[in-house]
Amino acid sequence: MSGSNVWSRTREKMRLFPELFAQCANEAAVYGKCVAATTTGTQELRKDLCAKEFEALKICFTNAAKKRAR
Amino acid sequence: MSGRLCRRLLRLGCPASSAGSWSRLSGAGLNGTGRPGAGRSGLSGGGRMNVFSREMKQRQKDWAAQLQDSQQYDYLREEVGRQVADRVYDIARTFPLALDIGGGRSHIAEHLSKEVVERFCLTDVSQQSLRRRRPSEIPTHCVLADEEFLPFKENTFDLVVSSLALHWINDLPGALRQIHQVLKPDGVFIGAMVGGETLYELRCSLQLAETEREGGFSPHISPYTAVTDLGNLLGQAGFNMLTVDIDDIQVHYPGIMEVMTDLQGMGESNCAWNRKSLLHRDTILAAAAIYKEMYGSEDGSIPATFEILYMIGWKPHESQAKPAKRGSATVSFGDLSKISRPSSTDQP
Repeated sequence: MSGSNVWSRTREKMRLFPELFAQCANEAAVYGKCVAATTTGTQELRKDLCAKEFEALKICFTNAAKKRAR
Repeated sequence: MSGRLCRRLLRLGCPASSAGSWSRLSGAGLNGTGRPGAGRSGLSGGGRMNVFSREMKQRQKDWAAQLQDSQQYDYLREEVGRQVADRVYDIARTFPLALDIGGGRSHIAEHLSKEVVERFCLTDVSQQSLRRRRPSEIPTHCVLADEEFLPFKENTFDLVVSSLALHWINDLPGALRQIHQVLKPDGVFIGAMVGGETLYELRCSLQLAETEREGGFSPHISPYTAVTDLGNLLGQAGFNMLTVDIDDIQVHYPGIMEVMTDLQGMGESNCAWNRKSLLHRDTILAAAAIYKEMYGSEDGSIPATFEILYMIGWKPHESQAKPAKRGSATVSFGDLSKISRPSSTDQP
């Protein structure tokens, strides 16, 4: 396949991932700590245990992507 | 073509069948994650394991070989190739004919000289890798062959080397037996394979991220042989005078995407039958955060561990030292305390 198609566009978007992720270091650290706490503590990791922190991370990430796209 | 390339970036898992845990493999060979529903059946010499899709691995290796910048992904193979060549040099012999299994772009032969190995034979499943092999001063034949079905006669080679290829073989005991067969008596097999705790950071990050985001998880890292099983495997294949040692290589990356991109560029993408063809973007984001938080270092980089197992095994021959017969001892351990220390007056 040559030219611009959904696969090449997706790949281009994925290439921006590290840059965008770097802008959300704080939210990422908070989310990471929430999940890492389950590995040491008594609480078992379940689905959406850290949903709030992940929402904050995702909002930060999408905002960074929107700013970049502008 | 680029469609499949894009998919490959995300193809790192298996269908999330259940939230059951995926335990580390134990016992001889690779048992465990076979086809879904096969369960964890123990393996003891019988039945062929079919964990990896060899055809997929060939396509991945072909794709990685014809990348424009494939050289930048070679660092791991170069390092391991150099170590294997070191071990070949340690053996004070000249080998008339040597075989490199799964050699790819030939990272071992470029460090060897004509005095050590006179003729070299390089095999790989991927034709593109063989075409782009590195130059070496030893005359080399290239053979397109699968590591599990070596097309050579018995007692052909004096030396068989293998660097970072054995961890994609389905039937490892069988492959080792074939290597044993093609070796001449008093021939040596020097291998390096990825094993044990390799990429445990990536594995744990993806596992935790998938559990938290999706409710279950699937294997994304292929199963590895533990170092304790390697001795059994080599012994069962008929090698003796075994030497196994481990080398931990830690590579630091900026982030999880770079880890996965580099693995893909090395041709080491997942090719297990039960891999998941999709990694959700939420999961990638969550795994990046977890990886950085749990394993990140102070300067912001994240480590990825590669545990390389080096093994040396010899094909039996009468000239090799055997254990002494029972009852042939001439001194007793009890006499150890009676050994007097030699006087050192005449030493400088």
